[in-house]
This record gives sequence, C-alpha cells and structure tokens, in this order.
Amino acid sequence: MLFLAKFFRQVFLVDLLKGLLVTLKYTPQPAFTFQYPSERRPVAPRFRGVLRLQVEPETGAQTCIVCDQCAKACPDELINLGGHREPGHKIKVLDYFDFNLSRCSFCGLCAEVCPTKPVKALIMSEDYELGTYSRTAQVLRVDEMYDGLPIHQYDR
Amino acid sequence: MGLIDHRFSDNFITTNLDQVLNWARQSSLWPMGFGLACCAIEMIATSTSRYDIARFGAEVFRASPRQADLMIVAGTVTKKMAPVLRRLYDQMPEPKWVISMGSCSNAGGPFPTYSVLQGVDKIVPVDVYVSGCPPRPEALLYGLMRLQDKIRKESTVLRRERVIMSGQSEPIMVEDRG
Repeated sequence: MLFLAKFFRQVFLVDLLKGLLVTLKYTPQPAFTFQYPSERRPVAPRFRGVLRLQVEPETGAQTCIVCDQCAKACPDELINLGGHREPGHKIKVLDYFDFNLSRCSFCGLCAEVCPTKPVKALIMSEDYELGTYSRTAQVLRVDEMYDGLPIHQYDR
Repeated sequence: MGLIDHRFSDNFITTNLDQVLNWARQSSLWPMGFGLACCAIEMIATSTSRYDIARFGAEVFRASPRQADLMIVAGTVTKKMAPVLRRLYDQMPEPKWVISMGSCSNAGGPFPTYSVLQGVDKIVPVDVYVSGCPPRPEALLYGLMRLQDKIRKESTVLRRERVIMSGQSEPIMVEDRG
C-alpha cells in the first residue's frame, strides 16, 4: 500500500506541484528589494551617522563655543579644533574644526558631551554616504562639517 | 588586453572602444569578498535580496581571486593577515580595483596597536574608501557607485600613462609621451 502511494505521488508529480505552489504564492508579492539610489530608507531614530556642526536655525549664527570637550572625549583623538576671541562676540569664533573621519568608529561620545543649549553644536547626523578616493579627503574641514561631505568627482 | 594597452592615439575608434570597455568593466565588477571582521556581515547583507548588489552587476562573490575584479576589504587587517591579502591581490587578474570598507581597513580604526595594519592602503592600492563602523549596506553601494564613476573615466587603449611627477605624491595621467 505504501509502495502504491509512493508510486502515484511520483507519477502525478505531487511533490513538484507542491513546491511550485509555494513559488506561485510568492510570485504576485511586490519585490522585496529596496532600490537604494532612487529610494532612501529612513534611518532609525538612534542612528549615528557622520558628525555635523549645527548653527542657530533662525539666525545662522555659530553655536560651537570652542570648549574642546569633544576633542577630549574622543577615544581616538580625531577632533582638532580651535578658535579665537573677538571684541564683538560673546563666544569664541571657530577658526578650524578638523575631523579625521578615517578612524572614526561613530561611538557618539563627542556629540554626547557637547554642552551648548538649546541647539547642540555637534550632532551625529543621518548621513551615511561616505566614500572618498583618497585618505586626505577623509579629513573633514569646517565647511564640510557644516554642510556635509560633498560628492567627490573623480578627475584624473 | 596587454596587446592594446596604452598603444593608440586619440581617435574615433579608440575613444569609443574605451567607452565600451569601461561600460563592460563597470557593470560586471565581480568582487572577492575579503570579510575579516564585522564589516563582512554588512557586505553579506549587501548581497542579500533586500539591498541586492546584483542590480550593479556585482553579485558574483568569488571565493578565488583568479575570477575577481574587485577586492572588498571588509574588516580589520591584522599584520598576520596582511601578506595573505597582498598575495591574493597579486593573484587577481588585471584590471583590478580595491574598495576599503570600514574604519579598520581605512586607517586601522580604534586599534592603533602593534598587531593591526594601520590602513590597508599600506599594502594594496585602494580606489575607494568607504567610511563607517561598519558602513551600512547603502554606504557600500554608494562606494561601489563611486568606483563605477572612477572606472568610467579610465582609459585602456589610449596612449596615456600614469606617472608621479617629482615633488608630487599623487600620480597624474600623462597623454602621449612619444
């Protein structure tokens, strides 16, 4: 009896049809693939992207007070910043802010210690598209810290 | 390719041939996955159906270097692994490219120690550095697109040479040196 059941299963291709049914069930579903360059997936709220300096949203004034706490908090000593006092300004004026991206492990300690209120000067942004052609381009200067890393065009 | 490499002057056929070659190369980059640490997980995730690196023609992860065009160095390169990596790079046929993925292979990452190589560009020429710790799959795809941009601007049959001028650190392309 068992032999007959097996025989009929093989003749009528029951196992094959069962398998094809599963394939058929998945066929009308929309594609699972996420078309990256044309559509961008929203990142998680706690996501830590590349470092970014913020300005006051209304006035566009500098918020960084050059307290050097981020540079001290960084475990790999990647941040190097400096500023000077000016008569008209209450806070120090930021001269340079070099952030060496190449070693950064995106731990967020630098953004955590940033003391400015209500607008945090240093944040972990949601930018993750970081690709450069050279290691020197991985050291972000102050304008790149404000505006984000530009898309480098290969020219050679 | 050795017969026609950098042998011809700039004319209609050679420039178009360059474009065809570049198109073929950029759209079938077969990577050799060099997964050394946690970046490898993201590299594997890039090849899954969710991100689907096959859309860029780079889905054929070869286990052997002889069939690969692109080496994705994903992870911490220790000094013990470095000679192996260089040997596998040497075994890859020309033309070949290298993507350095993640902070560890870019510059050593958080390991400035005696056992870790401080950047994979100390032993192999790196074309694109993808930052992140680890980079998201999208970031690796972005790096791949940057590499495709680079390949699109290369020239194979035109008589150009990559030379390093005295006093310069970066090589430049020189056209027609006789």
